[in-house]
This record gives sequence, C-alpha cells and structure tokens, in this order.
Amino acid sequence: MYTLLIAVDGSEGSRRAVDHVVRLAAAGLPVAVHVLNVQIPVESGHVRMFIEAERIEGYYREEGLAALDPACAVLAGAGLAPSRHLAVGHVTETILHYAEKLRADQIVLGSNGGASLRHRLLGSVASDVAARASVPVTLVR
Amino acid sequence: MDFLGIDSSFLLAVGQIIMIDILLGGDNAVVIALACRRLPEAQRRQAIFWGVAGAIGVRIALIFFALQLLALPYLKLVGAALLIWIGVKLLLPEDDDGHANLAASDSLLGAIRTVVLADVVMSLDNVIAVAGAAKGDIALVVFGILISVPIIVWGSRFVLRLMDRFPVVITLGGALLGWIAGEMAITDRVMRESFFADAVPGVVKYAAAATGALLVVLVGKWLASRQLATREPVEIPLDAGPSSGHKP
Repeated sequence: MYTLLIAVDGSEGSRRAVDHVVRLAAAGLPVAVHVLNVQIPVESGHVRMFIEAERIEGYYREEGLAALDPACAVLAGAGLAPSRHLAVGHVTETILHYAEKLRADQIVLGSNGGASLRHRLLGSVASDVAARASVPVTLVR
Repeated sequence: MDFLGIDSSFLLAVGQIIMIDILLGGDNAVVIALACRRLPEAQRRQAIFWGVAGAIGVRIALIFFALQLLALPYLKLVGAALLIWIGVKLLLPEDDDGHANLAASDSLLGAIRTVVLADVVMSLDNVIAVAGAAKGDIALVVFGILISVPIIVWGSRFVLRLMDRFPVVITLGGALLGWIAGEMAITDRVMRESFFADAVPGVVKYAAAATGALLVVLVGKWLASRQLATREPVEIPLDAGPSSGHKP
C-alpha cells in the first residue's frame, strides 16, 4: 500500500488534487488515502470568553466538512476508502505534522497557480509545504 | 515633510491606525460571526447590523473618554503601560484561561447582547491604541473608527490567513503598540513638565518609542518561548458532526 495524504480546502485546486489521486488509483497504484482539512484557529482568549467551546468546534466542523465531504465523495465514487481528518492549527505545520503521523509516502496538494489576488498577497501554502516536507510532494495544477 | 500635499506624520498615524485595527479588530469579527451563525438568514443580517452599530457606538464613547483622560497627568503613563501589556499579549500563543461564561443564546436579542458585550471588552485595547496613535487629533480618531468597521465586518478571514502565513505581522504589530506606548509615556504631562522645558524634543520621542517597541518584542518573545508547547495542531473529531457522509 502506498499512503497518500491529500490536503483539501474546498478550492478548485483541491478538486484537481483529488482527481489526480483518482487517476493514480485507476492506473493501478494500490493507495491508502487520507484527506485532511486544516482550519486556521479563530479563537483568542477574548473569543473564548464570549463563545462556548462547542460552538467554536461546531464552526470548525462545519467549515471542515464543507471541504472534506465533496473530496471524499469523489474518492469513494472511484472505489477508494478515504479516511477524513480535520485539525486546527498553522496550515503548513499541520499538514507536515499529519504527513508524519500518518506515515504518508506522499503529500498531494492543489495549487491555485498564483493568479488570484489572495495568492499574490499571501503566497502559497502549497509551495511552503513542498519546501519543507520530508516526503515527496505533488502539486496539482 | 509632505507627500502629495499631505503631511507625512498624518499619513504615518493613518497607517498606524489601520494596522492597529487589523491586529486588534479580528477578535470582534470572529465573535460576531460565531454568535450570529445559527440564526436564520434575515435575523443574522439584523444581528450583524446591530452588533456592528453597537461596536461603533461603544468605540466612539470610549474614545471620547480616552481622549479626555489622556490629557490628565499620569494617565498617559497608565495608558502606555496598558499598551505594552496589550502588545505583549498579542505576541503570546493563545492562553487557556477564560471559557465562555455567557452562553450565546440562539435568539436575535441574545446574539446582539453577546456581540455588544464583547465589543465593550474588546474595543478597550483598540481604543487605547488608536487614541495613542491619533495624539488627540479628532479627525484621525473618527477615521480610525470608520476604517475599523469594514475590517470587523469582512476582514476577519483575510486577517487570520495573513497571520497564519506571515507570523512576523504579529511581531510587527506588537512592536507598533510598544512604539505608540513609548511615545505616549514620554509625552505625559508629568514627564514633559518635569524633564523638558517646553515640548519633548523629537529625538527623545523617537528614542522612547523605540524603547517601547523593543520592550514589547523582547518580553513577548521571551514569554512565548517559555510556553511553546501549545502550538500543536488540535484534532477535531468528525463523528459528532452533522453528517458522517461518505465513509465507506
């Protein structure tokens, strides 16, 4: 088994990353697929003072499932059995942490190609991960 | 110095205020979003509108008092100390104290109450910082309040992403608060009257500001290095979620 970690955020790039994994599996690679969504922490001491923990967690879960469910539906439709993971933390750090924890052989990420304003201002998580990962990283354009 | 006919120190203050709003306004945005998200669409808009209106009102009232108070002797020193503390807190990872003691109810009024109460608490740091950066210029204060509104309403996601991608933004923000604090402390009436004949010389002002900035960064970094372990990602269990969807 070849363990793949796909990090998804609900974007077009994530969709292409999932499609890429489907193609790999269709080509005969025996894969174990993990799908991860990372939520950026929203809570500071102040936020916790006014909003209960369950409500914050509910928010993370809702946002996370919105990214995870479509990806897992596509993978399941292709006959794969993806495991879902949702975590809150620094995006790049968290992806690397899970790659290690799940002993992933490879990380697959969508890259949005640098056209958007957000990308220009914030740079790309994908290239950050690629620069720091200790396993191969596939950026799907 | 002039830039396109506008005084450059004015522009500098404007830049400082925008930065403060971005750094200290994110919390408000999150509380508004979370307190209102279970309401039906129409009520949610209403709650957000009144919540933001409350935020502006609270800010105007607080800033008005802050400006009056800062003219009194010693109070700029107090304000400076508070700002240093706010700056240091900004640099620390999330502390685990304080859990919600006000259950945000899922009614319209409950949501508005949560948002406005949160505004009172959370605007305090923003108000002290803006009052310090504006140096008594009421036009700047009004500008600071106006510019903070869109940031509170729409900016939170962008701010969160920005801080996730570039943690150095937070360090710079802490340094900025320390800078304002240093300037504030040295221009307190007591300091001015006891150490300087007339106005505080520019060099001294900058030296004090730089000292404040350095103080915040050094203390913040030192304290943060002592509690590094809190940075681990937190796993959110999916089973309790609304759908366990497409698990095979």
